[in-house]
Order: sequence, then C-alpha cells, then structure tokens
Amino acid sequence: MIATDACVYPYPAGDSSIRRMALEARKLGFDSIVCAGAPESSEVAGVRVLAGVIISRSNMKEVISAVRKEGRHAEIIMVNAGEERFNRSVVSYHGIHILRGISHVKRGFDHVGAKTAASSGVAVDFDLSEIIQKNGHARQKVLSCYADILRLQRHYGFRLTLSGGAHSYLDLRSVRDMTNLCALFGMKKDEVAEALANVGRLLSPEQVVEVIR
Amino acid sequence: MRARPPTLRDKKRYVLAAIEPCYTEIDPRQMYYALFDVVSSLFGDVGAGRIKMTVISCDKGYVIARCIRGTEAQVETAMAALTSVDEHHIALRTLATSGTLHGLKGCIRTLPTLAEGGVCMIEGQDYTAFHLPLEKVDLFMGNKDQERLYFTEDDLEEF
Repeated sequence: MIATDACVYPYPAGDSSIRRMALEARKLGFDSIVCAGAPESSEVAGVRVLAGVIISRSNMKEVISAVRKEGRHAEIIMVNAGEERFNRSVVSYHGIHILRGISHVKRGFDHVGAKTAASSGVAVDFDLSEIIQKNGHARQKVLSCYADILRLQRHYGFRLTLSGGAHSYLDLRSVRDMTNLCALFGMKKDEVAEALANVGRLLSPEQVVEVIR
Repeated sequence: MRARPPTLRDKKRYVLAAIEPCYTEIDPRQMYYALFDVVSSLFGDVGAGRIKMTVISCDKGYVIARCIRGTEAQVETAMAALTSVDEHHIALRTLATSGTLHGLKGCIRTLPTLAEGGVCMIEGQDYTAFHLPLEKVDLFMGNKDQERLYFTEDDLEEF
C-alpha cells in the first residue's frame, strides 16, 4: 500500500457509501482507505478498504477490553487521544495501531510518548480535516500542535499517518492536496509520502530477518 | 493609465479546478469571495496581497483562478481547504496549472448529464435518485438543497 487515507467515515456515519468513497479515493490517487465502522475489509474498484475501529475511552483498562471486544474484526485499531499519561499508555500497547485526535488535547504528547511510540511501532495520526474545517485561532492551534509533533517525529522517528477525516466523498482530498496542506505546518513532500505509506507498514511491520539452515 | 511593457508585467499562472458535485451552480462572485476568504485566512493579508488571486471563470463544473507565478501551490492549498460556497457543500479538485488560458482548455470536459432514476426508500425516507457515470448515484431528499446521499448502483441494490 503506497497511499492510504487513514480514516474516513462512510454511511451511516457520513453521507457517502464505502463504494462511493473508494471510487473517489482511486480518482484522488489512493490505493487504500481505512473505513471507521466498516464491517469487514474488502476491495472495491481496485482500492483496498480496510475495516477500522475507533476506540474512545477515558482509561487504559477500558481501552484494553475494548480492543479485545471491538478490535476482533477490525484490521486497524485507532484510539482517541486523552491526557498525557493516558497517551503514553496507549502508545506502549502493542494491540493498538494509531493514536488519533492528538490536537484535541493540550500538551497531550511529549518526548517520552514519542520515544515509546517509536519503540512500540504505534503511529500518531494527523487529521487534516482539523485544518480544513477549523478557522482562525482554532486552526492556528492545530497547525502549531502538528508542527510540534512533527519536530518530535523527526527526532525520535515514530510513525505518522495522515487522514482526511472525511464524512462525505466531498471531504476526501487528493495526495497532492494533502501534500499542500501538510506544507502549512512544515511537512516535506517525502515525509508526506512516507506517512501515507505507513498504514501498510503497520499491517506488515518490519521484522528481523532470520536465516534458517 | 498606460499598459506596462510586457517585461515589467507580473507573470501570471492559471489554475483549473473541477467543482464536485459537477452539477452545482455557483455564482463566480461568490466563488471569488469564498476562495479569497480561505487564502487570506491561511496566508494572511500579506500573503493574499502577494498571491493576487482572482477567479477568471466559474461555469459548467469548472473554476479557473489566476495568481502570480510561484504562488500556484498556495492557491491549490486554498482550493483544497474550501468546503462550502454560498451554503453549497462542494469540493474543488485541482486539475492543471498553465501560463495561458488556452493551455487549460484541453483539460476541460463536457459535463455528464444527470439522469433521473425514480424514487427509492432508504431507512424510511424517500430519496430521488440521479444517475451519473461510473455507476454513481446521488440521492436527494426533497429538492436539491436538502439532505443528500452519495451512493453507487451496487449500494442501491442492497437496500
């Protein structure tokens, strides 16, 4: 998977069906999308549709039980960010793929969380709908939050993913548009390409090569 | 005021974008205000003054914007950040950039026609279906300004 939109919300959460989203995603340069709430993974019009689940809980114990219950049929498990300690626990848990909604909390992610995320392979998501939908001061806060996390990522090397947070096929953005939007907070073209490919890497993580004789 | 000699004029670039949904009719003036609002929100007054963005045309599902050479990426970013114009939920898909309007004409296609496909019921609500190419179906509840759903023909068979 070369380019994946890490989170879209098809019907009934949004107004477009999974197939319509997939058709549009192919036109916009994606080869796969993660659909929150999709019953199962499938392939539509040459686009791989990955079933995703978003877990929103306030403490880690509830998150772990939700991962066991809800994550059974999902390929990508995402958890909504909370306060700093909670986020550190989330990024250290191996059953979780993506920590999302990081811009919603003030100082939710620091260098300790970044180091943990890098060692455990959990990705942090940049939701670009936060930049598109918000305006003025709220947008400025999101941009500064993403720039801050990007600085940590460049230092510690944890994974980033990019999502459009689309509730309609009209909210999907092309790879080129995503590159332009990410340039607003200083993300370079090659970093965007790597972030778009990271969902594929989460599903098939790199492992040490063993030589069997 | 006399026209400047060509060597002293600003070099311009024209950006072509498709309007989605393609049948949405938008007044060019409203499109200009909406785009300029996004440009000035994203890049500030200084940036907007430097970009000098204007909407040349907004018709038949396409919009052409003009800007100063070197600021095309910023105009494309503004187009990507635009979500609604005049209470219409739309998206602008940038297609091409050129130094002349003539260069963009090759990228403009004729609009597909909306074919009305009767009424269908989804979760107890009546929707009028309009068929588009590639098996796309747009469903309107009541008139076109009310709630919409975007499906495909395969999806309708499931309901």
